[in-house]
Amino acid sequence: MPAGTRWTGASILLLLLLAFPLVFTQPHPRHVVITIFLFAMLAQAWNLLAGYCGQISLGHAVFFGAGAYTSTLLVKYFDLSPWLGMVVGAVVAVAVSQLIGYPVFRLRGHYFAIATIAVGEIVNTLMINWDWAGGARGLFVPIKRPDSFLNLQFHQSKQNYYYIALGLLLLAFWITRKVERSRMGYYLRAIREDQDAAASLGIPVAAYKQRAMALSAALTALGGSFYAQYILFIDPDSVFPTALSILICLVAVLGGIGTLWGPLIGAAILIPLGEWTRIYFGGTGKAMDLLIYGALIMLVSIIQPGGIMALAQRGRRRTG
Amino acid sequence: MRRAVRLLSLALSAVFATASASHAQAPKEVVIGVIYPLSGNLAQIGIDSVTAMKMAVELYNTKSDLNLPAMKKTTEGLPGLGGAKIRLIVVDHQGKPDVGQAEAERLITQEKVTAILGSVFSSVTATTSQVAERYGVPHMNGESSSPSLTERGFKWFFRTSPHDGHFTLAMFDFLKDFEKKKGVKFKTVGLMHEDTLFGADSGKVQEELAKKYGYEVVLNMAYRAKTTSLDAEVGRLKAAGPDVFFPTSYTSDAVLYIKTAKTLEYIPRMLIAQNAGWVDPQFVAEMNKDIEGHITRSPFALDLQAKKPLIRQINELFKKQKDNPGGRDISEAPTRALTAFTVLVDAINRAKSTNPEEIRKALVATNVPPDQLLMPWTGVRFDEKGQNAGVRAILQQIQKGAYATIWPFDLAAADVIYPLPGFKDKK
Repeated sequence: MPAGTRWTGASILLLLLLAFPLVFTQPHPRHVVITIFLFAMLAQAWNLLAGYCGQISLGHAVFFGAGAYTSTLLVKYFDLSPWLGMVVGAVVAVAVSQLIGYPVFRLRGHYFAIATIAVGEIVNTLMINWDWAGGARGLFVPIKRPDSFLNLQFHQSKQNYYYIALGLLLLAFWITRKVERSRMGYYLRAIREDQDAAASLGIPVAAYKQRAMALSAALTALGGSFYAQYILFIDPDSVFPTALSILICLVAVLGGIGTLWGPLIGAAILIPLGEWTRIYFGGTGKAMDLLIYGALIMLVSIIQPGGIMALAQRGRRRTG
Repeated sequence: MRRAVRLLSLALSAVFATASASHAQAPKEVVIGVIYPLSGNLAQIGIDSVTAMKMAVELYNTKSDLNLPAMKKTTEGLPGLGGAKIRLIVVDHQGKPDVGQAEAERLITQEKVTAILGSVFSSVTATTSQVAERYGVPHMNGESSSPSLTERGFKWFFRTSPHDGHFTLAMFDFLKDFEKKKGVKFKTVGLMHEDTLFGADSGKVQEELAKKYGYEVVLNMAYRAKTTSLDAEVGRLKAAGPDVFFPTSYTSDAVLYIKTAKTLEYIPRMLIAQNAGWVDPQFVAEMNKDIEGHITRSPFALDLQAKKPLIRQINELFKKQKDNPGGRDISEAPTRALTAFTVLVDAINRAKSTNPEEIRKALVATNVPPDQLLMPWTGVRFDEKGQNAGVRAILQQIQKGAYATIWPFDLAAADVIYPLPGFKDKK
């Protein structure tokens, strides 16, 4: 596809997304799209580390939770605006990522993935027992009335949440694109393809892994802060579970790992699928929704393990 | 285009519906949204609760004369609303607060439910009640036990059941009563709890109350909910040797505790459990003699059916439900859901309207007498925070493989076995 057409396509998509809440005024469709944006963003953040740099992390919930907890604790104890809390949350997540990365990046392949699961579980246990941060009880985000942009709380309508989530998604896309085309992007891909060869060419492998991790963690933390302000209640079970890390990974893998558009496509398919199967089959108590959801994921991975982006690329090659 | 067609057909069917309604005086419908865990490890609780509520809907929608709130009537449907029928919309929250929130929002704005009922998990109830509060829709809760839920002072949130504070208070009141009655004196207590919301809350309240009641807490241990070994914990318990031991455990960890205690031959003089594992019918069946004499708190007692014929009637109906394979007896979870549900329907019936504000006023004015309850409570009346002021927790002891109510002493169906028999004596 020539660059011009691609830009036209992207602008049309953006216009449609901007217009969506003006057409669909009901909270539920807006909520579904907000969730798509959130997970597309999280998957994009994960993609930076896993897709471009080849480091499969299954502990990204740690950064999500760090963002959620930091901003909420700052609102609760210091009455700090969540916007500032978001930034602080991102800084905390970066610090945590560097601490984790230093020992964990010495491991390769599956061992790295396993270590990130372990880190996730450890942090989850710590949070459950940390009373100041609410412990297992969780934290209510103090409700501020009336609605205010400064407090990032909108009780009348979801429209503002929608545009904020879209903004975060665009930020993640913009950063990924920047990275993709920069020297860093080439370094990351080189590390992904062959770490030893990259090192022999003089690429500082460890440093670039740490940088990718920091960027990925910061973006994930922004998503976590947004989630906390959107749901207004967090507990270790909802922001630190391994299941969340896996879902983030699943969205990216389904859409197409290591591609710019993969995470958005993955989220746009997986999130509504989960919603609809639950709404239409979940009320029976027979777990039909989870069966259908699981079967569809298996189907996609069997038909096209490279993700939906690979499918699209194959189609494009065929047509010429 | 398709949208326009759908809108048109919707409008037409609405016209026909009202036209036929005015002809046949067809009653309106009251739609209630039910948000429960229907998948995951507490799914059975959700499924049983929904079964009980569907049973109640059937009773409300036909002529029924059971002595439950608003159920003694000669007409079909709700007499207060000209015979309106009740319809439930049941959804699964999967144990996730954000899913609960989304579902509550969808039920209110799209399905236009009159009220919301749910949702077992305190963490999910926290978010569903926020949504109900925001939209001004009544939210009834029958089982979430985190005290903080009613501490928020919400206008639209009502809880029929006792919270952890009430339950734990009952345990210590029992100890004092028992000391007085039997002339024994307890000095030390030991606490052990799993580390999720439920266990953490329980352990905290127990420690505070133990100190307040003048007992020395010699041990307070948390363990990982999914642990596979309690050797170290039980070993420490045995060494500390508290007079009374309070475990807070779900089923699998409760089983682990019993097995470990048996191996290490640890027997406290008295064991008082915080419900959960100890009220799981499977647990009692599996552990059998090894838990003889264990005490647990409970909001419901099947053995009260001798004194409360209503329990027997409902139990017989429940056993025949098609979603209840094997005809199991009604247990704690479905009775809690049923109670909350009937209290809510009673308010809607008295409000004579599906207007939320009218229902809220009716809920505030709720006064359900004890003879219309399956629970051993003094009634249902809500305080200014929406908490039922008539709650009463009871203690039950496992005697010969069944639950026997032992406290409050005026409701007791059996004497307390004390001290706990050793594992060898139980055979």
